[in-house]
Amino acid sequence: MHEQSKEFELTAEEAAALDEIAGALGRFGQERGNLIPILQMVQERLSYLPPRAIELVASHLGMAPCEVYGVATFYNQFRFHPPGRYRIKVCLGTACHVKGGDIILENFERKLGIRDGETTPDREFSIERVACVGCCALAPVTVINETVHGHTAPSKVEGLLLGFQIERERKEREDKKHADGESQDH
Amino acid sequence: MHPPDTQAHCFAEDSPGFGNGSLIDENSGKGTVALETITLTINDKVINCPSGISILQAARREGIKIPTLCDHPALESVGACRLCLVEDKGGRLMASCVTPASEGQVLKTDSPRVLAHRKNIVRLLLAEHPESCLVCNKGNRCDLRAIAASLGIGETNLYPMPHARTMEQANPFLVRDLTKCVLCGKCIRADHELVVVGAIDYNRRGFLSRPETVHERPLEESTCAFCGTCVSICPTGALSVKNAHFVGTPEKEKSSVCGFCGVGCSLVLGSAAGRIVEVNPADEPSTVNGPTLCLRGHFAHDYLHSENRLTTPRVRKNGELEDISWNDAVSRVAERLLEIREKHGPQSIGFLGSSKCTNEENYLFQKMARAVFRTNNLDTSGMAPARAVLEEIKGLKRGRRSTAPLKDLEKTDLLFVMGVDPSHSSPVLAYHLKRASRKGIPLVVVDPREIELARFATCRLQVRPATDALLLNGIAALLREGVNGRRYGDGTTSLRGFAEHEKQLASLDLNEVCRLSGVGEEALERTAKLLRGKRPIFVVGRGVFHQKACRDTMKALSNLSLLTGDTGSGRSWLYAPTYENNEAGAWDMGVSPDTLPGGKPLGAKAFRSHWERAWDVMLSPDPGLNVIRMIREAEKGNLKALYVMGENPVRALPQPEYVTRALENLEFLVVQDILDNETSRVADVILPGAAFSEKMGSFTNMEGRIQRFEAAVPPPGQSKPDLEIINLLLKEMGQASLGGSVDKLRKEIAKLIPEYGDLPSSAGEAWVREAESEGTDPQEEPLFFPIPELKSPEHDDAFPFTVILRSFRAHLGSGTRTSRSERVEEKGWRGEVEMSARDCESLGIRDGDRIRVVSPHGAVEREVKIETGLSSGLVVVPRAFGDNDAMNLFPFKERKESNFTGWITCPARVERRAR
Repeated sequence: MHEQSKEFELTAEEAAALDEIAGALGRFGQERGNLIPILQMVQERLSYLPPRAIELVASHLGMAPCEVYGVATFYNQFRFHPPGRYRIKVCLGTACHVKGGDIILENFERKLGIRDGETTPDREFSIERVACVGCCALAPVTVINETVHGHTAPSKVEGLLLGFQIERERKEREDKKHADGESQDH
Repeated sequence: MHPPDTQAHCFAEDSPGFGNGSLIDENSGKGTVALETITLTINDKVINCPSGISILQAARREGIKIPTLCDHPALESVGACRLCLVEDKGGRLMASCVTPASEGQVLKTDSPRVLAHRKNIVRLLLAEHPESCLVCNKGNRCDLRAIAASLGIGETNLYPMPHARTMEQANPFLVRDLTKCVLCGKCIRADHELVVVGAIDYNRRGFLSRPETVHERPLEESTCAFCGTCVSICPTGALSVKNAHFVGTPEKEKSSVCGFCGVGCSLVLGSAAGRIVEVNPADEPSTVNGPTLCLRGHFAHDYLHSENRLTTPRVRKNGELEDISWNDAVSRVAERLLEIREKHGPQSIGFLGSSKCTNEENYLFQKMARAVFRTNNLDTSGMAPARAVLEEIKGLKRGRRSTAPLKDLEKTDLLFVMGVDPSHSSPVLAYHLKRASRKGIPLVVVDPREIELARFATCRLQVRPATDALLLNGIAALLREGVNGRRYGDGTTSLRGFAEHEKQLASLDLNEVCRLSGVGEEALERTAKLLRGKRPIFVVGRGVFHQKACRDTMKALSNLSLLTGDTGSGRSWLYAPTYENNEAGAWDMGVSPDTLPGGKPLGAKAFRSHWERAWDVMLSPDPGLNVIRMIREAEKGNLKALYVMGENPVRALPQPEYVTRALENLEFLVVQDILDNETSRVADVILPGAAFSEKMGSFTNMEGRIQRFEAAVPPPGQSKPDLEIINLLLKEMGQASLGGSVDKLRKEIAKLIPEYGDLPSSAGEAWVREAESEGTDPQEEPLFFPIPELKSPEHDDAFPFTVILRSFRAHLGSGTRTSRSERVEEKGWRGEVEMSARDCESLGIRDGDRIRVVSPHGAVEREVKIETGLSSGLVVVPRAFGDNDAMNLFPFKERKESNFTGWITCPARVERRAR
């Protein structure tokens, strides 16, 4: 089962969005039937349901937070972790499943130390499992953000993650150089 | 006896399993159900049953057994486990718990098809269940195992797919092994419907679904109050009680009554090898608690086997306590007490009876004091029980029924809760109030703190301490102003004092009321609007009875209740919860300086002579000393001897050091108790008594229900039931005929106290009977009390804060017993002082800092916890922690004295200690 999920600290934007949400709740009645539309609204604004949002919704509807959580976890559409900068979607549709998609998923999970549905603490990566993405000929398929990676294999998983890391390091170097350059100018 | 109105609809009331559904509308006419009888056939047997109940209920009424895992009579049926399948004539299978019985049905509960399906369901459940029966705590008490055995399922012949999960056992109370969960949802429904906490619910779906807390946090990080109701109700080993070390599984079970708070829950005590190893609710529909219990009742009874139990009589020789034999101990006590009486007279001996001991023991104890020692120096150390205040103010008892079942709270117009935090002090009362609120009964909560119950309130009035009377008068004035042509009934306007009261209300300055009480006018108006046209029941607790202005508040409450038209219809308008298991009984048995058994005034000759004839002695007409005065006289040297039975005055009374000094000053102190405690440490003779689980007797709870119980285990070591000890003493003094067995005393009590006429009957429940009317006493007639003038509360700049004492759910009273519970101690609650964020900021105090709370009389040092809902200016100190040092803050004063601050609030200042 899920390890205990660490609570992500809200970014300034998210905190502001949460305040907005608190205001927006007034537009919904206090009937329990409004729960799912409210949760959808929250997820639309925040991309996920942080614990504080669940508490807010629960107190608006006069429900216990665990009831709200119970309903939200029933549906696949709700997330409880913020999406990572790289959203890794591993396809487990029929073709991908047959071609070992679960091995790919496990590889990502092991490499990143998180489970599907979770996000790395630095918010860089998140893993989701998806059903068919519509390019079964390329199975097993992984979609990272908008890029489709076909014929994924465990070695490719490593390559992909290494690629992201190299890219990040290069960017950091450039940023540093840029900052240094600026400071020299002055 | 049980009030008749609840009997008549017992099937609807007591088995709401199906009844809460749409077929029976409980809210219409409060349980009146169209009793249409229908006829159906189950297993070829033609049966009649009322319409509206489920097939399962109909079958059970006829003694036809249908196996279930998810059904419980006190819970709404959900049809989760599907084991209760039955087949109808047309071959349809249906879950009998959620299918209404209807006219002409022909059903089979064990047809081959039903059995085949039932077996498959159990096989599937077992395929997902770990094969750990050999080492499972639930053992032979497991419902799943019993059902599998009854269906002859050993091997499932299915691929085992156990759903392995981490076992949770970090808290000292319960073990959660959700691998064994069968998803019956009983724990969830108990949590939502019975105790109304909402800590757990199903999460996720399908195979992954489990009853879980929000974000799958451990229970101690959730809102779980550890009442243990889910543990008792769980059909498998998924939830079980945690024991620090192996104690065995119960060999025997015995019904008993909880020895903690005044609710008096019915228990089943499971024992092994002479020890209580498990405590569960008796789970009978007629009991006060049904299938629920609380943290103390469920988990804190491990104090019974604490190593601090007193197990041998001891006597002080050369300053040290030494073990002696019972014979020597008893003769020493008798000899010394008689000697002191001879030398210094009856007023020199005091007797402290116990709000924890049984009715029979308290009766004999006061009989010994009154008949043998001719003194009325009798009291308990539960300070000023509510009853004393009610007796004191004539006219308050109007319409108070002696029996008032808590169930009735769920059938009233409106609940007005004031000065009581039942979620902590008497949780089962809180469950009733929360259930009532969920049923739609408006709830008004008046308390300076944001108590848990306030979340359920329709109107919440966060009143400043000591301004309650003011607030109530304000509400009364609005009730009057906003009538819009509504006239009070004749019953109200013709009452004594009505006109003056009207005049006073008319001239009440509402702005001033709002300013002083700290409650907004809008909230006040909302409350008045809510009250209009309703007959509220007032639930009033220690927060009122222990405050200085208690009498004003009670009078204002009475006025308010009269204005709502309740002029004594016979229905109880006031519930005053008792805080200890036999507070009511001890009072009824006459353990009081100025009332005789049955609560009759000692001063009235007629009542005195009733007892003089019965006991064949002359009784002293002089009122005795109450506990405060006894201690004070001891300190002055006027009281020479004190006999304390089952009380710990050093820990319970204000100024422990003063009390200890006073007790040390006595010539002779006898302590009869079960635990080594602050008082027994200064005793001259210690007589080891027996706890409720080790003796026979009866307790009277806050409802007026007299509950008999028997011993579940023998007393440890040489200790003896308290009644036996008093009998030994009486025999030693040549007065054996005064005492006798429990049965003999029960008969004597029933004969002499008419209200206790049902005490000896061997079967059924007993209730305190309605007092016979003794002619109408004009003093007892309802009347409007005059309203005192508006006064600002006193304010002392040196002590700018107000301390409020609060209860905490793990501890009862001063915590003598609960602090000896291993589980409670292991949990390590620290009893932090609560303060508002604003005050902390202005004093530079951070969450977790150590602070010193100083009153004019003493100080306590604790960590601080910032509480968001708290008003500034308040400092909340929990009772029972740190040897109950909170009592240092209060002066050793009684109600009638000047400088009395009450026992619930006092002025204080706050100092930060070095970080």
